[in-house]
Amino acid sequence: MTEYWFYLAASLGLLLSMALMLARLLSGPTLYDRTLAVNSFGTKTVLFLCMFGFVIDRSDGVDIALLYALINFVATIAILKFFRYRALDIALARMGTEPLNGERQ
Amino acid sequence: MTLDPLQILDVAFLAMLLVIAFAIVRLNNLFAVVMLTGVYSLVSAVWLLVLDAVDVSFTEAAVGAGVSTVLMLGAMLLTAREAKPVSASRRLGPLAVSIAAGAALFYALPDLPPYGAADTPANSYVGLEYLERTGTDTHIPNVVTAVLASYRGFDTFGETVVIFAAGLGVMLLLGLNGRKKKEDSK
Amino acid sequence: MTGAEAMEIWDAACFAVSVLLIVAGLVFVLAGAIGVLRLPDFYTRLHAAGVTDTLGAELVLLGLAVQAGFTLLAAKLLLVGFFLFLTSPAATHTIAHAAYEAGLKPLLARFNPKHPSEAEPS
Repeated sequence: MTEYWFYLAASLGLLLSMALMLARLLSGPTLYDRTLAVNSFGTKTVLFLCMFGFVIDRSDGVDIALLYALINFVATIAILKFFRYRALDIALARMGTEPLNGERQ
Repeated sequence: MTLDPLQILDVAFLAMLLVIAFAIVRLNNLFAVVMLTGVYSLVSAVWLLVLDAVDVSFTEAAVGAGVSTVLMLGAMLLTAREAKPVSASRRLGPLAVSIAAGAALFYALPDLPPYGAADTPANSYVGLEYLERTGTDTHIPNVVTAVLASYRGFDTFGETVVIFAAGLGVMLLLGLNGRKKKEDSK
Repeated sequence: MTGAEAMEIWDAACFAVSVLLIVAGLVFVLAGAIGVLRLPDFYTRLHAAGVTDTLGAELVLLGLAVQAGFTLLAAKLLLVGFFLFLTSPAATHTIAHAAYEAGLKPLLARFNPKHPSEAEPS
C-alpha cells in the first residue's frame, strides 16, 4: 500500500515539473525557448507515462512512452529544420548534400 | 466527499488543457501555435491514459502529437507565419455559436447513464455478447482489439485505406517532390 | 529463513533501492524544470533542461526497472531509457546549434569590459 502512495506522489511530482515546463512554453520570448520547452515537456511526459503504469498496475503506458520518445525527437528535428530552411521540402531535398563540419555555403 | 487520488490527476490535466487552449487562441505567431497544438494533443493522450482508454491514447500520441505537428508545419510554408489580428466585433458570431452548442451539450449531460452501469443499451445487447464470447471465439486478451481487428475487421480495413488515401493527397498537395527545379533556378 | 521470508526481504530491498533512485531522479527533474523557468537567457536554460532531463530520466527509469523485476516490463523500460539516452543529448545539441546558426546571441555578448592590460592605472 505504501508503494501505491509513493508512486502517486512521484507522479504528482512529475506533473508539477510538466506544469513548470508548460509555463516556459507559454512565456518563452524566442521560438527556440519554445522548442526547448516542447522537447523537455515530451521527455517529462514519457517519464509520467512510465510511472503511471505502476500506479494503476497496468503497464500499457510504457508502449506509448516508447512511441512518444521517438516521435518527440523526430518532431523536434523537423521543427528545427523548418526554422532553418523555411521549407520542409527543401530540407528534405538537401538531405545528404550538405557540406560537412558546418561550413557555410 | 472522498477525493479519489486519480481525480487530482484528471483535474490537473484538464487545467493544463484549458491553459494551452487559451494560449493557442491568444498567440499570433503561428510557429508557436503549431507547437502548442502538438503539446495539446500530447496532454490529451496522457489524460486518455489516465481515463483508462489505452488504445485511443496510443493513436492520439502517434497521430496528434507527432505526425500532425509536422504536417501543419509543412502546410504553414504555403501560408503566412503570423496570424492577422481579428477585431472584436467579428468574434461575436463564433462566440454565440460556441455558447449555444456548449449549452446544448450541458443540457444533454444529466441524461447520460452512470459510467460503467450494466443496464445501459451500450452494455446490454451486442456489447455483452462481445464481452462474453471474445475469449472463446478469438483468444485475443483485449476486447477492444478483438472488436476492432476481428469482429469488425472490414471496418478497420476501410479506415486504413481512407487514411492512406488522405496521406497521399496531403503529400501531393504539399508538393514534396516537385520543387527542386524552382529552387535550382534561383 | 524460509523462502517466503527471503522473498519479502528481497522485495523490500528492491523497493528501497528503487525509492532512492526515483527520488534522486525526481530531484534532478524538478531542479531542471525550476531552472528553465528562472534562468535569464536561452543558453543558460538549455543547460538546465538538457543536462538534468537526461540524467533525471535515466535515474527514474532505472528505479522503475528495478521495481519491475526480471520481466518484459523491465526490458521495455530499459529500452525507453536507452532511447532517451541517445536522443535527448542529440536534440539539445541540435537546438543549441540551430539557435547559434540563426544568430541568437548569448546574454554575455553584450558585456564588453576592457582588457586588464588596457586598464587605467588607478
